[in-house]
Formats: sequence, C-alpha cells, structure tokens
Amino acid sequence: MQELDVAINSIRVRFGSQALTRAAELPPPQPWPSRTLIDRLSGIGGLPRGRLTVLTGNGTCGKLTLALALLASATRELAHVIVIDHQSGFDPWTLLPYSPELGALTVVRAPAPDLAGEAAAALAKAGAGFILLMGEVPEHWLGPLESAANRSGTVLMGVLDAPGRAFAHASSLSVGFSRTEWIWERGQLVGLRALARCVKNRVAPPLGETELEIRYPLGAQSLFDHRVDIIEIPVDQSKREAPSPVSPASRERGQSWDLYQESAVV
Amino acid sequence: MVGDWEEHVIAASDEALASGVVPGMASRQAEHLCPLATFLPPEPEAAAQLRELISSALYDLAPTVEVRVEGVAWLDVNGVVSAGESIREARRRLKKAIGREPRLGLAPGPFSARLAAARARPGRLVQVEKARTFLAPLSSRELPLDAEQLERLDLLGLRTLGAVAAIGPRELESQLGREGRHAVLLARGLEPDQLTPWRPPLFTSAHRQFDPPVEDREALLFVARALCDDLAAELGLRGAGAKRILVRLLLESAPHEQRDSLVRHPLSSATELFGLIGSWIKEWQPRAPITEMWIELPVLEAAGRRQLRLWAGGDGTSEEVVSALERLQERWGDEVVHRPHPHLLSSPIPSQRFA
Repeated sequence: MQELDVAINSIRVRFGSQALTRAAELPPPQPWPSRTLIDRLSGIGGLPRGRLTVLTGNGTCGKLTLALALLASATRELAHVIVIDHQSGFDPWTLLPYSPELGALTVVRAPAPDLAGEAAAALAKAGAGFILLMGEVPEHWLGPLESAANRSGTVLMGVLDAPGRAFAHASSLSVGFSRTEWIWERGQLVGLRALARCVKNRVAPPLGETELEIRYPLGAQSLFDHRVDIIEIPVDQSKREAPSPVSPASRERGQSWDLYQESAVV
Repeated sequence: MVGDWEEHVIAASDEALASGVVPGMASRQAEHLCPLATFLPPEPEAAAQLRELISSALYDLAPTVEVRVEGVAWLDVNGVVSAGESIREARRRLKKAIGREPRLGLAPGPFSARLAAARARPGRLVQVEKARTFLAPLSSRELPLDAEQLERLDLLGLRTLGAVAAIGPRELESQLGREGRHAVLLARGLEPDQLTPWRPPLFTSAHRQFDPPVEDREALLFVARALCDDLAAELGLRGAGAKRILVRLLLESAPHEQRDSLVRHPLSSATELFGLIGSWIKEWQPRAPITEMWIELPVLEAAGRRQLRLWAGGDGTSEEVVSALERLQERWGDEVVHRPHPHLLSSPIPSQRFA
C-alpha cells in the first residue's frame, strides 16, 4: 500500500497533480432523482447520470418491478426513454400499472446482442434521457456505451440475473436483490419481500441496504387501473410484522421516505 | 504580405496593416510603407482551402454566410434568434480556424460591416447603427472602384463617402458609368449588394487501389474505415452530410459490383458512414478478387442537425435521438424500433394491445 502511494506521488510529481486522480476525489455525477429507494442507496440522491446502474438478483426478487417503476417515472419526466430488448420479450403492457407516459417510450427490439450494444451506444451518444437494458451488451460495446452516456448524461440501467464480469465492471452502481419471503394473505400469494443491497458503488460510499415489499396487482380491476405498491420497510420491523401497504397518495406526501430513512442500514 | 510583386496586396499581417498597408494597394507602394515586410506569392489552392475551412466553420451560425478569399467573411444575422451568441461563436471559431483574433463589425449591410470590422481592434466588435452616418467621414477610396475611377473622384473633390453620398446617383453615373451609381448607393448606406451564400459542394468520393487484388474481408473493412475517416473529415470541413452513399468494387476478372442507399438523415461522421458501409461489406460476397474500392457520396446536403442547434437550445438532442433511431431502422429494418401506442389494451391477445 505504501509502495502504491509512493508510485502515485511520483506520477503526480512528474506529470502534474491532475495526471492521476483518485476516484474519491472526482466530483460525483449529477443525479437523476427517481423518488425510489435507489436514490438513497446510490448515495447521491438519485440514479447517476451518464453511468451504468445494474439491478441484479436471481429469479423473482423485485428487480424488474423496480426497473419498471423507474422506467415509468422516466417516461413522465424525460423526452426519450428507450428500452433495449434483446430476446427478453419486453411487453409495454406490464408497464401500465405504473402510469407511464407512453409517448416518450421507444422499444428497440434487437435481434442480435451486437445490435443491442450498437443501439444503446448510438442512442446514448444522441442524448436519450433514460435507457433500460434488458440484458447484457457485448463487451466491446461497453466502452463506447460508457463514454457516450458520460458525454450526454444519459441514465443507463441494466436488469439481469447475474451480470458477466465485463458488465459488472462497467457498472458504477449495482444493487443486488434477494427475495426473503413470499407474502400470503387468505391463502393467496399477494406479493413478496426482498432485500435490496448496494453491492457496488463508484459514485459514493457503498454498501447501503434496505428491505422492500412488493404487492402484485390483484383483483377484478384491469391491469392498467391498478397500481403496484413498492414499499420500503424497516429491516427490524419487517421481521416482527408485515406493514400495511402505503397508499400512493401517502407516498407522494413523503411518508415512505421517512420510513425509508429510518430503515437505513449503512 | 501576400500578393504578386507586379500586382496588388491581397492580404497583410497586423504588423503590416499598422504601417499603413491595406489590401488592394500596389505591392511597390506597400513595400515603401513597410520595407521590412516579406512578400509571399499567392497560393490559390491553399487560399481556396482556407476559404472552405472558414465557410464550413461559420456555416451553421447564420442562414447566409459568404467568405471571400481576401479574408473577409460575412454572416447575415437577420432572423437569427440570438445574434450576439452567433457573433461570439463566430469569433471563437474564426480564431480556431485561422489562429488569429478576427476583427468584427456589425452593421446594416455588407459594405458598412466590412468597413466597421476594418476599424475594430483584433477580437473586438464595432457596431454601426446608422450606416450613412458611420460612412460619411470615411475616405471615398474605400469604394470598390478601380484606380482610375478613384482618381477621378479625387479630381471631382469627392474625398469622403459623405461627399459622394451628397450627389445624385445619375450625376456620378455620368462620370464613372454604372459603378458611379453603385458607389453613391454604397456611400448612402443603402447596401445595394447582396451576399452570395456559401453552399457545401454536392459530390465527393474516395477510392483505393489494391495491388495485388484482395479477397480478405478484414482488409477491405480496414480500408473502408480509412476511406470513411477521409470522407468524414472532408464532410466536416464543408459542414455537409451524405444523403446518398454508393460503394463500388472493381473486380479482377468480372464486372464491377456496387451497392447504394438513400438515407433519411445525412451522415456526416466516420462512425455513421462506416456503420452503414461496414455492414454492407460484412455481408458482401464478391465474385472475384477486388482491384479497387470506391466510396462515393453523390448527394450531399447541409448537415441539418447542426443547423437546428442555431435556433433553440436542446432541440438538437431530440432530433439526434430520432435520427439515431431512424438510422437503426435503415440498417436493421423498421420492426427493430417500436413505439407503443395503446390500441386494445384489454385484449387478451398481446399483439392487439398496442398499435
């Protein structure tokens, strides 16, 4: 460690103080406030613009639900929201419970991984506001994608079960999801609880953690009249009792935010 | 100083200008005023290249841009939303293109603007509200007349533009011909001349011969990328984009093969050009070894996206996203990009839910 410091100092002496900068000394990227639990986990109050955020986790664990909520939120705030869908069969119908603004949404159905990478890089370079990657892009496209997003400030988000090494390396913020339990009410499966943990953070001090409860749309009402509830719950409280779902109106008033701050484990 | 020894000075450095040398002056007279000056012979090709460079640098700052080889550039900022920003950007780009601070003038017409700029210090702007008032005290030798006509003006006692403006156009026409009438209109600040807008050229191409003929696709891709780089540099210089792309392969023992395409948005960067051409080459199956490759851009037009930035901040980004999506459709088919519009949302059949 001491030798590394000596090497860093000698580089700075020889080539100037700006030749080598510690990541911790770099200014953090501008955040895009998503008004979800990600905002606090990122440590900068939102998703980092111009960087890749990855939501990972095995099977049904809530990562896609959260990604769809973020996507819908982005369609309401940004002009161009893109889904890069490589053979995962993204259906815009699943987005309806989150009240999206469909006019801002474009789905790129890539027949090959190369096209997914090329499309993502081209659209990031052009300045699309938010790009959701429904899967990995080939390694050789990650460099152009990162630099294009960095220049334009595009919010990049990837959703996948287990990222490859290159994709994981390219991400600036990784949040791992793991399902802790199913929620049953009156003999019916109504949702799940999951643990969301920041497993990598290059934009702020890492390792925040929270637990969330996801309620599935159920009942006679049609899907697009329903609202999905994603509720953050205190970790210790969740072990004692299941909280009642917070209504969307109360979330807007900021009640869930207070609950969330209390539940923070850093 | 640039100019033929037996002719006139075409351009002069700031130091020479400070000694009283002006473009258009006889070279012998210039040498008398500035004995230490070095005379450089004119280089028409280099001057034309510099003119292209300056024209393309200024092209997207105003609807009409004219650049003359003697080192004068005009921007017609009528209708430009923020003329001040345009002028500031013009100064920055000119400095980058020529390596010197330009002199700037803002006036109702090209004649008064040129004279205003000539009176500005490097990097500064002289603004003229009323052309006639500004022109009146200036020497009548500023008028675009030949030496004999200027001499006659002198003999007539018309030594300032104000004096020229005071007489009738027909009176001076009877003395100097049509140029006399034109001179009076100029002196009155009526600006009879119109700018000739610069337009990017309409055709360009690049080619490479292979000796011996090549069959290797990687080599072909490598050369295509280099040609795309050259063409993109040229397009950038001219502020143009390619509307149509044609690739022609000349074969060793078979008729040539070619492929072409009309694109919706002009391609201007090497990445855009190679994106399309590279995809063609990757799937091309030539019947014989290739002796020569041509990339032609037969239809050029102004790179529209650059122009859009002129009018309002942020418009360009939206346009760029739309054009990036269209380029993806051109390469991979329309079905690649899907914009979901609700159709029959309650339908149990997924394909019916969105149009």
